Amino acid sequence: MTLTITAGREQTRARYPDEHGHVERDGVRLFWERYGDGEPTILLLPTWEIVHSRFWKGQIPYLARHTRVVTFDPRGNGRSDRPQGFEAYRRREFAADALAVLDAAGVDRAVVVTWCDMGEALILAAEHPERVAGLVFIGPSLRLDEPDHGQYPFDADPGTGEGWAKETRGYWLRDWPGYVEFFFAQCLTEPHSTKQIEDCVGWAGDTDMETILDGFRGWETKIIDPVEVAALCPRVRCPVLVIHGTEDAQVGPSVGAALADELGGRLVLLEGAGHAPHARDPVKVNQMVASFAGIGPAPAPRTWTRALRRPRRALYLSSPIGLGHARRDLAIAQELRALVPGLEIDWLAQDPVTRVLEAEGERIHPASAWLANESTHIERESAEHDLHAFQAIRRMDEILVANFMVFHDVVREQPYDLWVGDEAWELDYFLHENPEQKRAAYAWLTDFVGWLPMPDGGDREAFLTADYNAEMIEHIARFPRLRDRAVFVGNPDDIVADRFGPGLPPIREWVEGHYDFAGYVTGFDPAGVGDREELRRRLGYRPDEQVCVVTVGGSGVGGHLLRRVIAAYPEAGRLVPGLRMVVVAGPRIDPASLPVHDGLEVHAYVHGLYQHLAASDLAVVQGGLTTCMELTAAGRPFLYFPLAHHFEQNFHVHHRLRRYNAGRRMDFATATPEVIAAAIAQEIGRPVDYRPVETDGAARAARLLAELL
Amino acid sequence: MTTRATSERRRPPEQTRARHPDAEGFVERGGVRVFWERHGDGEPTLLLLPAWSIIHSRQWKAQVPYLARRYRVLTFDGRGNGRSDRPAGAGAYDDGQYVADALAVLDATGTRRAVLVGLSRGGRWAVELAAARPERVLGAALIDPALPFMAPLPREQGYPFEEELDSTEGWAKFNRHYWLREYRDFLEFFASQAFSEPHSTKQIEDMVGWGLETSPETLVATQLGAQPASREEVEAVLRRVRCPVLVVHGDGDRVRPHAVGAAVAELTGGALVTVEGGGHCPQARHPVRINLLLREFVESLGGMAR
Repeated sequence: MTLTITAGREQTRARYPDEHGHVERDGVRLFWERYGDGEPTILLLPTWEIVHSRFWKGQIPYLARHTRVVTFDPRGNGRSDRPQGFEAYRRREFAADALAVLDAAGVDRAVVVTWCDMGEALILAAEHPERVAGLVFIGPSLRLDEPDHGQYPFDADPGTGEGWAKETRGYWLRDWPGYVEFFFAQCLTEPHSTKQIEDCVGWAGDTDMETILDGFRGWETKIIDPVEVAALCPRVRCPVLVIHGTEDAQVGPSVGAALADELGGRLVLLEGAGHAPHARDPVKVNQMVASFAGIGPAPAPRTWTRALRRPRRALYLSSPIGLGHARRDLAIAQELRALVPGLEIDWLAQDPVTRVLEAEGERIHPASAWLANESTHIERESAEHDLHAFQAIRRMDEILVANFMVFHDVVREQPYDLWVGDEAWELDYFLHENPEQKRAAYAWLTDFVGWLPMPDGGDREAFLTADYNAEMIEHIARFPRLRDRAVFVGNPDDIVADRFGPGLPPIREWVEGHYDFAGYVTGFDPAGVGDREELRRRLGYRPDEQVCVVTVGGSGVGGHLLRRVIAAYPEAGRLVPGLRMVVVAGPRIDPASLPVHDGLEVHAYVHGLYQHLAASDLAVVQGGLTTCMELTAAGRPFLYFPLAHHFEQNFHVHHRLRRYNAGRRMDFATATPEVIAAAIAQEIGRPVDYRPVETDGAARAARLLAELL
Repeated sequence: MTTRATSERRRPPEQTRARHPDAEGFVERGGVRVFWERHGDGEPTLLLLPAWSIIHSRQWKAQVPYLARRYRVLTFDGRGNGRSDRPAGAGAYDDGQYVADALAVLDATGTRRAVLVGLSRGGRWAVELAAARPERVLGAALIDPALPFMAPLPREQGYPFEEELDSTEGWAKFNRHYWLREYRDFLEFFASQAFSEPHSTKQIEDMVGWGLETSPETLVATQLGAQPASREEVEAVLRRVRCPVLVVHGDGDRVRPHAVGAAVAELTGGALVTVEGGGHCPQARHPVRINLLLREFVESLGGMAR
């Protein structure tokens, strides 16, 4: 498959620079960024111009939380200039660029971190020791024996297009994207590295083949000569750390080992890692860089409490996308407190979940302020009633690492007995990637299992979802004791009939073998809502009104659906005498941004929305599980519109609602205002025959957690 | 020499150690022999100072095996207990003598600089050594330091040490006459105050056992040797300390109040770690936490931070 490289839209960052600018040196403009403050400064060098500074996205948010971080785009890529001619891309130019950037950012001295160094970092440290406080090499290319000639002479025709024969001028001119894809597959040889490879290919797409070709005449000219390496090494005076993957297919670990030896530095080999561990194993690399630079979580807590004097404490991470999980997690937490008297619960949470928690007087851990916002990212990923949920989670990788590192620091500074992660992907994924980080009982909750491809995603999406499922299955098989509890919020029949992918197990069979089932957790007791007539009176709905509540959950994705339903209001009003339509924009959509009609009510965030849903005669909603199940439990008719390309809403939720015989599925693409008005008229006030929803889900989930305390 | 022979004979069989020293010896100063041990040979050197001679260098038994795997660790028995001499007279036990003994051990072992670790009275000696000889001290970790300010201590509240008292209850046992009469009872009382945490029987037995290795007469001399100092004098010494300082102090310490450690940290610009619910000898009762804190402190002195 030939891949066309197109410079994609940049995904949401976990942190944006505090300062940025261009510095000009010899007519070449270089783009730099500064994040955070503090000492020492960490300078993350670009490597050669095949990628740019986004390559450090797994490091920047963490390091910048503890100190000042400076990055810049190399000449030839990103937002820096593309000067012409081979001489412009000599390594000495890159070293001089680094100095110019340090000057521009007002930095005297920095700890320099470099990937695949071809000479620039070594030159910097040897010739400008006063500017370099320490040096971290990741997979350095600096050989002391003989130059790297590559497998094939760059300018000759190897007579084949296989393997490293792609690294020739002739092949580049024929199939540059094919080379780029091959090259980065050789950088990231670890299984399940699709996202990292795609990222790199995308950054290569931010420059062009002509620019790369301008500065490349084979590795023996790109990397400084071994004689020069040997001459520079004795001049390096600062502490040195060399990190090298043992499975590095670009530069063998013996190269890093020899360099560490020559520099008197420390060598850390990452067993099984490839050429770019900072991208594939970001948690480990972040820890090593932080420890080398002397930053990170406070080494010694100011107070240490004797074990037997500690109250039982739990740290609860509630999935922060929308509001779906906030209420059920609160209900579980309340039941858990009843089972474990004296239990203290801290929440590591972000907006909009924090609004619900604050309203309930829960304790939000102050470090929550450091979390990068996931809802913002999801909103940016969405189009008109369209959210590719799988890709949106994939494209959240930077935020997930950054937020895991917040968690990492929190649990080092404060011991907990139990961690609870309700679809807290960052916690579950990076714990399994870094199992030695487990230091408490850990319970995982979810209401769906299995990434599923959308039909129009083709083979590629089917491959990617299967690859993600396979990695998860391997994680659990290899570290079966890491999750002390895996709780499925629902029942076995709620699980879809699909397989995880070709050659992978059926989802239901696997989940039944690896999960406990809590039943559904609505987060409220329908009986507690009380008599419906009384409830309507309390909420101000008259008996002769036909109340239609329109809501799209807690994220900002639903604005288009709200507008479409509002457009159906006049027609629906003609069809339904006494119609009262109540639109709830939610915490992240500005009600003032919605159209107005006589008689139409628009509200912002409504605490206790489930009561309004229970009191309504009809609800119009998105296809999110929580709201749909609240309506199911309350026995109200509803129209639901799954977001296009949202696999969870289209498959997992849809399957569950069919089992409950609940709701009428609508298709946003074909639902004109007239269609919606007609459906409202047909459904409103209709008696329903739903399968009952259990009311003891929160108590059952809490019992499963309490056993860990 | 009779004294030494007697004390040797009275040493009970020691329980199996986790690690035995790589070198040991005596250093003699003014006719008094002080016994030292060296474990390991890494960098840097840590000098684990003695405390009050009611105990001896075995007080560090939970630290030495761990620290010596990484660093060069020196210990010595404070004069008056262990295998060191028991000279007669309070003058032999003033604070300056212990500081001078520490320097003598550094010299005898060829140690230019060391990280000092001091418990209780050893914390005072570490501070005095760091203030007087900064070129010999890389850093000072002070555990429940016994700096003589913020009086009165619990034992000083109405119980003069040298007077015959009517009472023998509680801190009234901290009295030379009572020691000479009921030495073991005093040791048991003191150890129970030092280890105020529940379930501390073994640590209490250890302390009583080490206390029995010296004599009440010697212990009276060490107590009379401890020098009072004015608050101004103490503060002046603390302000002279230039090396990095870590203070660890239990907030349940009944022998030396937590406020002392907090003040020491403040006056030296050091870091304070509070052991919530911790008593007077956390290195024995909470050895893992103390070991890790000491390692973190030593590591913070090295690498790029230096």
